[in-house]
Amino acid sequence: MSDLSSVPSAAPTVSAAGLTLRYGGTAALDDVSVRLGEGVTGLLGPNGAGKTTLLRVLATAVPPDKGAFTVLGNDPGTSAGRQEVRRALGYLPQAPGFHPDFSAFEFVDYVAILKELTDRTARHREVRRVLDAVALSDVRSKRIKKLSGGMRQRVALAAALVGDPGFLVLDEPTVGLDPEQRMRFRELIARAGEGRTVLLSTHQTEDVAMLCHRVIVMVRGRVRFEGTPAELTARAAGRVWSSTERDPGAWAGWRTGTGSFRNVGEPPEGADMVEPTLEDGYLLTLDGESSEVAPA
Amino acid sequence: MRRVTAMTRALLPPVWRSLPRRALAAAAAVGLLLAAVPRLQSGPPDPLVGLYSLRAAALVLALGLAFLLDDPARHITSAVPVRRPVRVALRVALVAPWAALTWTTALLLVPESSRPPAGALTLEAAATAVLALAAAALSIRRTRTTEPGAAISTWLLATGVTAALLLPPDWTLFVTPDDPHWHSTHDRWTLLLIVAAALAARSVTEPLRGRPFRRPSPEPL
Repeated sequence: MSDLSSVPSAAPTVSAAGLTLRYGGTAALDDVSVRLGEGVTGLLGPNGAGKTTLLRVLATAVPPDKGAFTVLGNDPGTSAGRQEVRRALGYLPQAPGFHPDFSAFEFVDYVAILKELTDRTARHREVRRVLDAVALSDVRSKRIKKLSGGMRQRVALAAALVGDPGFLVLDEPTVGLDPEQRMRFRELIARAGEGRTVLLSTHQTEDVAMLCHRVIVMVRGRVRFEGTPAELTARAAGRVWSSTERDPGAWAGWRTGTGSFRNVGEPPEGADMVEPTLEDGYLLTLDGESSEVAPA
Repeated sequence: MRRVTAMTRALLPPVWRSLPRRALAAAAAVGLLLAAVPRLQSGPPDPLVGLYSLRAAALVLALGLAFLLDDPARHITSAVPVRRPVRVALRVALVAPWAALTWTTALLLVPESSRPPAGALTLEAAATAVLALAAAALSIRRTRTTEPGAAISTWLLATGVTAALLLPPDWTLFVTPDDPHWHSTHDRWTLLLIVAAALAARSVTEPLRGRPFRRPSPEPL
């Protein structure tokens, strides 16, 4: 499938059609078509769903076996097009690595040079700007190996933000952060989403609920849902209920802090229905394919 | 052109700082120590000791060069406009003078009377070094590893030992200068160098399409 007209979204800045990528016999991406517009789009899915592969393809880190995509009107299937895409791209990979002996400033400066910012004065101004944006100005001369995990993530985000890219690809940026750091990161991502396209891969449904205007759910290399967070939440309407005992008919159920059970699935007659969350909608969209959720 | 020059000049300091200097320094130290073995020996100079000392030194230098493409920040810099071949070429250019100087010193450390033909041994050393780089480049292209150096140097050491012990006489790469196959063996070293260089050049390029090399649909997106 490579007909983009079948993919619903208005004013796309990133369009992908029929993306397929195989590792051995396994399809990491299987005919994936998406359209992204300005703002933050969340990418949810269980481990091995193909989220990171999709992000790597859209970031031009790896070419797809099949399919095509454009970023801000440029086709990375050509050498010149790929250069243009990379000029417009900020990429924060999963578990980013650093040269540990570089300071935060030196590392972001290095990435800035790789983004073709050759004028030293202008480049240093830009590096200071992005370090300021991620609140790292105070520690900019500190060696990266001496920074905390959260600070390193912010260094990586600063590197992604260098050059004011129009398309920002963030692969699980809040993983391993404590709640306060995660909240700070949310602020940064929300700000980054103003006026640019941000694709945010995450396992945190809260991140999606708080940040994203659209959400994509991937399962086994395919897009299973694409829409707004409200639409994903609405999938669970009438399918979440509370009970005093674990309901064997529920697809998933767990004891909450109040002692009652929250059940997701097809409710029995007369069930005490509760307001669904985005996570409920997500769990129901997975439909038993997540390795992380044990059915009740 | 001016832009490329400016960018290259700007890249030199951070690329220099990101080189695996510890691995390279250790390889140089051990390599020179091995090359100095004939001088440390008492008695008349033995050409065989000179030959094997230099071969061991060449292998150790190649083991160090296997770390040259190690880049812990690889994933962050995997999608930047400056192309990978440029970055790799810069690393090689920065290390090439060091490698040439170390190898020349190693050759000079072996007494002239026990020194094997320098050109032929330099060919062997160059082929081994380029093979190490090609393997590292291939590993980076085919896997998501950021630091292939340790694995590639282990593989190179195992391959070197296996080649020395197990290759049949018609295919052997390690003969002595008085062997009638010395010249034909070095034709094989030349072939190995060419193949390794071609593999390295191919591996550092970034493919535009995936493995089936299928073009996207011709319709405009």
